[in-house]
Amino acid sequence: MNRSLMVGVLLLLGWFTVAGQGQAQSLDELHKLALKEGGTLNFYATLAQINAEIILPIFEKRFPGIKVNHVDATSDKLVARAVSEARGGKTLGDVFQVPLENIIQLQEQGLILDVALPESSAYPDGLKGAFWTASDLQYFVAAWNTGLVKKEEEPKSFDDFLHARWKGRLIAEPRDLEMLLAFAKYRFKSDEKAIDYWRKIAAHNVEFHKGHSQLAELLVAGQAAACLTCYSHHYPLRMKKGAPVNMMLSEGVASINGTAVFKNAPHPNTALLFARWVASETGQKVMAQGGRNPAHPKVDPIDKTKTDKTYFITVADLKEFPKYEKIWKEIFKLR
Amino acid sequence: MSTIAIPKTAKERSGFDPALLVPVVGAGVLIYLAVLPLFMLFLGSFQAEVAPREFVYTLKNYQNAYASEHTYSTFVNSLIFATGSSLLTFFLGTMLAWLTERTNTPLSTLFVPIAVVPLILPGVLESIAWIFLLSPKFGYVNVWLMNIFGLSSPPFNVFSLPGMIWVHSVGQVPLAFLMMTAAFKSMDPSLEESAMMSGANTWQTFKRVTLRLLAPTAGSVLLILFVRTLESFETPALIGIPARIYVYTSEIFLAFNEYPPDYGRGGALAVGLLILSAIGVWLYTRATKEGKKFQTVTGKAFRPRQFDLGPWKWVGFAFLMVYFLFVVLLPFLVLFWASFLPFFAKPSWDALSKLSLDNYRYLGTFRPFWQAMQNSILLATLTATVAMVLTSLVAWIVYKSKLRGAWVLDFLAFVPITIPGIVMGMSLILLYVAFPIPIYGTIWVLLIAYVTRFIPYGMRASSGSILQIHSELEEAAAASGASWWETFKRVTLPLLRPGFVAGWIYICIVSFREFSTSVLLATGESRVLSILLFTMFEQGQVTIVAAIGILMIVTLLAVVGIFYKLTGRVGIQT
Repeated sequence: MNRSLMVGVLLLLGWFTVAGQGQAQSLDELHKLALKEGGTLNFYATLAQINAEIILPIFEKRFPGIKVNHVDATSDKLVARAVSEARGGKTLGDVFQVPLENIIQLQEQGLILDVALPESSAYPDGLKGAFWTASDLQYFVAAWNTGLVKKEEEPKSFDDFLHARWKGRLIAEPRDLEMLLAFAKYRFKSDEKAIDYWRKIAAHNVEFHKGHSQLAELLVAGQAAACLTCYSHHYPLRMKKGAPVNMMLSEGVASINGTAVFKNAPHPNTALLFARWVASETGQKVMAQGGRNPAHPKVDPIDKTKTDKTYFITVADLKEFPKYEKIWKEIFKLR
Repeated sequence: MSTIAIPKTAKERSGFDPALLVPVVGAGVLIYLAVLPLFMLFLGSFQAEVAPREFVYTLKNYQNAYASEHTYSTFVNSLIFATGSSLLTFFLGTMLAWLTERTNTPLSTLFVPIAVVPLILPGVLESIAWIFLLSPKFGYVNVWLMNIFGLSSPPFNVFSLPGMIWVHSVGQVPLAFLMMTAAFKSMDPSLEESAMMSGANTWQTFKRVTLRLLAPTAGSVLLILFVRTLESFETPALIGIPARIYVYTSEIFLAFNEYPPDYGRGGALAVGLLILSAIGVWLYTRATKEGKKFQTVTGKAFRPRQFDLGPWKWVGFAFLMVYFLFVVLLPFLVLFWASFLPFFAKPSWDALSKLSLDNYRYLGTFRPFWQAMQNSILLATLTATVAMVLTSLVAWIVYKSKLRGAWVLDFLAFVPITIPGIVMGMSLILLYVAFPIPIYGTIWVLLIAYVTRFIPYGMRASSGSILQIHSELEEAAAASGASWWETFKRVTLPLLRPGFVAGWIYICIVSFREFSTSVLLATGESRVLSILLFTMFEQGQVTIVAAIGILMIVTLLAVVGIFYKLTGRVGIQT
């Protein structure tokens, strides 16, 4: 009896040790396993080239022998690509780093691995899930061209944009229904008031352009006086170069970019290595260095890009995207 | 009955002629390259995904593609885009060709090489340059015109159908120019002279004789321009999609690139576009055959006479100058200027003080740029080599081998001309994603795509020179005991060299510029320059894009420089 108990205890201990090792496996141990997979990481990510160009070489330097193949495109194109590949019976991507709603799309297609990274324990509940961890946050803010907006006209809050002087002077991104959703749920706490606000904005004849980076560039060039749905992290670099732009950080909407690992990834350990590294405090500092807003609670962005009052889009909100997308498109008569 | 036994040759004994292997292999390669992807596309257009990765066969895709609320507007947009663009291109190209070839317009010969220069400007860059110039709020041309004339609103908006037509047309003008120049050059002047002698004035002669002689060529040039516009994707992607003006190619692209991707609908649209362009190409080949009946080209030695435009020659000169300054030079200048800016800015003293070499310095250490450059150069040279070797062989079989059924090869080598780039990209994804050899996502799949697309160009160059080689030379080699391969290598190939070089360089240029196929196939490590331009433009790095563009043009100019050196002429076969 005693002996069998001993064996049981030993087995349990052994199991704990093995399991413990699996969890607390160091990044360097993972690196060794990754090298055996050939040393390539297929990184499907929306990360802009100018950010990737700083972030990825640091990863490659930290883990010699690993080369990142960055497949970059807009998020919908990346989702479409992964779905096409799956259609042909292939998984070619290792890591998927895109806005959370796009990760969920691929998860619904059965292409994302359920994995809890040890590093994600440092993140609050809203910034991690069963198959993803936040990689960075993006803040939707209002920004303006300082050559076209007088000092006294500069907006202090989103309410200021209701003024008639903004008619025909605004640009926005056609897919940013997050603005409507966040205003409805967190700013006004009323669908009606939020819809009313955006209808009044729509009456200003907002001009729509796809892609937030392009919006920023258009604003710099003077295509419009102000942008209603721009990303705050696009501005510090441009402002440092002397571009005639500024942004409003008093209030804004935040949404999550996440990192996930492909199910049946061709380089599973390499994928895990990158996902864990980018979620770690070190990796998050590198993300900040590359010009992004880190999601890790202990890491701050390098430039001031966080808004004072922030309306966070939560994971639960994502389910309501279709509802608000429909209203958003109706308000602005978008296809 | 008795028979006399005749000793059989080795060939007869085995019933197998090794020389037959070449055409069979050739046909096999062509079928593999040109027909198989189309078969996959056709198959895919009847498949619908009922659950993730579960397919059924259905006609619904065609219903979705051709009976939706967008069908009509896409059709109308495509039609307006292709008609408007082919007419404008034809008008500009013909004017340039006529003024430089057939009139006494001052300095007109200087304009001949200039008119061809835009050919090296990749379509993506052409579109970007015109966005810089004609954007409603910040486009330089608009800003200048508004300042000079005190206008309250911008006179031009590139983000419109007329804008798309303009941008696409100016990129295509060199093609129309070259084709029309060839037509003007080969025109028998005696007909015009007879008209003049019968008392017709310049205008009457032009209208009643010149124009009528040109009509068949004009018809076929218009047709080919129409088809090329329908197939093009650069302008629809960079100007059409942001302006929400969709044509067939952009609808196909979006069907593939929006979530959830709709292959069935994309495939059905692609099949439609393929049929349209096949009809266009078929009409074109018929028209060019008909054209021969009009005997505009004769064996006589002649030099077409020049029209004396009188004082109007200065109008002609002004037209050429305006064209040169505003259509050829301005896009280059705006890219050059933007490449030194830290961010896109209106022309001003302030902007002038911000000019620097920063973008070029940045590119010096920007890894994706060097990788894309390497891929583009490798692909351009490999594509040109493979396509020219392949088409030299095929052209030899078609024109020299006297094999029955050799025309099948000629036909197969012509098929790719009907396949729009975006359709080719889509077909190859369907084919290679599931392919046992893992070339999907690598530059090898791009190589296959490029070779397939440019085989028809290679055939033009190869067959032209093959036809000029007299069979006696090859027969002499064969009689001296040379094997088929030796004859081909030591006699035929060296004689083919001039055509080979011309074709090689042309294919090199078009591969280097290629966009509409690469946009679906090139990613990550296989990214080529045109795609890097497109993604970085989408990511808002417009001034870095301008710098990449300038470096791309410089690289292409180097290729064209070699072209000049090796062949001593500008001559593009279409």
